[in-house]
Amino acid sequence: MKGIEVSNLTVKFRNEAVLDNINLKINHPSFVVIMGPNGAGKTTFLKALIGLISYTGRIKIFGNAPKDARNTIGYLPQRDHINTNVPLKVKDVLLLPLISRHMGIKKENVKWAKGNLKKVGMEKYWNDKFDTLSGGQQQRVLFARTLMTDPKLIILDEPFSATDVKTKMELIQLLHNLKIEKTILIVIHDINPLVECTDSVLLLNKRQIDFGLVSQVINEENMKKLYGVGIPIIHREKVCYIMGGDRHV
Amino acid sequence: MFDTLLIRGIIAVFLISIVSATIGSFSIFRGSTFFVAGIAHGALAGAALGIFISLTFFPINSLIVALVFSIFFALAIGYASHRREDVDVAVGIMFAISMSLAVLFLSMIREYASVAWGLIIGDVLLLSQQDMNILMISVIAILLVFVIYYRRILYTIFDPESAEASGLKVLYYETLLFALIAVGVVSLLKCVGAILVYALLIIPAAAARRVLPSVGGTIIGAFIIALVSGLFGIAMSFYINVAPSSLAGLFAAGVYAFTLLKR
Repeated sequence: MKGIEVSNLTVKFRNEAVLDNINLKINHPSFVVIMGPNGAGKTTFLKALIGLISYTGRIKIFGNAPKDARNTIGYLPQRDHINTNVPLKVKDVLLLPLISRHMGIKKENVKWAKGNLKKVGMEKYWNDKFDTLSGGQQQRVLFARTLMTDPKLIILDEPFSATDVKTKMELIQLLHNLKIEKTILIVIHDINPLVECTDSVLLLNKRQIDFGLVSQVINEENMKKLYGVGIPIIHREKVCYIMGGDRHV
Repeated sequence: MFDTLLIRGIIAVFLISIVSATIGSFSIFRGSTFFVAGIAHGALAGAALGIFISLTFFPINSLIVALVFSIFFALAIGYASHRREDVDVAVGIMFAISMSLAVLFLSMIREYASVAWGLIIGDVLLLSQQDMNILMISVIAILLVFVIYYRRILYTIFDPESAEASGLKVLYYETLLFALIAVGVVSLLKCVGAILVYALLIIPAAAARRVLPSVGGTIIGAFIIALVSGLFGIAMSFYINVAPSSLAGLFAAGVYAFTLLKR
């Protein structure tokens, strides 16, 4: 099924290209990892997909322009965008996205929110203050929030920052379950824990270094192009891991 | 006559407390307390311009000119922020422009400058019926907007990027909040003065958030603290011959200091 189509995507800030001529097609459902060094334009790419920034080229999300496809997208930005001056409770954080969809706060929505919170193992924090939670707990709540509108496309920008190993593995398992019916785009620095559930990888460094299956894209040559240094790749049971990542033994 | 002024003063304190609870709390949530100070000074420049227009061209209520001026400055800051300028820097620049204009207009109305300077101190016991009407209309407008857009503004403040991604027009709601802050500040100008607007808008909400750390708790707590501070100011001004707003500001500051003791 048609998922995401990007052709000739270019984003410029002050006449300088931060993304240059990106072209790719992603089927629905699928699991796509986006990798690149700091400042490579990964977050910019995600923002263009959602229509948060202006760009040239063409983006279609399930056949629609980004701004028209927003009701099909669940977005988890980097956590430093959250303003914890607002003394919200966990339940408020989950229910707030519903207002932009004019869904109101009905009994069934509260039940749905509690269910999503349970999926990330945070159900007992329903009435707790959001800003009193640890960074990892906040991240889990925000993860649950992206599921609130039951989106077809889930976009996650570094979702495992501040999470411990256990939380990370639980969230990966959740993603693994979700990928059956959803398209998931995830920006992450270390692909190793996700190798087994990843369908394709986009390597970005202001331009598209490569896009394709993990086994085709993750290789020494591309790592050298991406990071400017040689990074050994370990091949094991038909999958490949980047040396130095989480799954390297 | 005195009774009328006292009753007006008490009603005004009640209305000020509503502004403090809504505008003050959301300014604290947004982290825009310096913005409130900037707008207060913008309002002062606007009021001075209003007096100048009244003296030179045609009669006009200086608070209305102050309101237009403040909303213009609020929108300018909102635009600068949207253009990736730091809000504090934008407010600082606006602050400097407003004070330059205030001094310019005050020097043009030299003999009536005391009228404008009265807006710096304000007095809740010297409000005219017209001042009360402006305050009342402002409070109704603020309440209406908050009742309708409360959650949308909250989402915009809490996580602007996700709010925009979900289809909310963040720039629209942020601008709306800035304009509401401007309305709130100007409506309080005659009551508490440009300097103490800051004290009565920010301190009650800041204190309430420390002891009642939830959105509803902060709003209700700020209302109670502002109301008690205002009534305390009026009551004490009968014993000490000073402007009630200064005593109200000190009382509110005392409450805040007390909340600092809470772990």
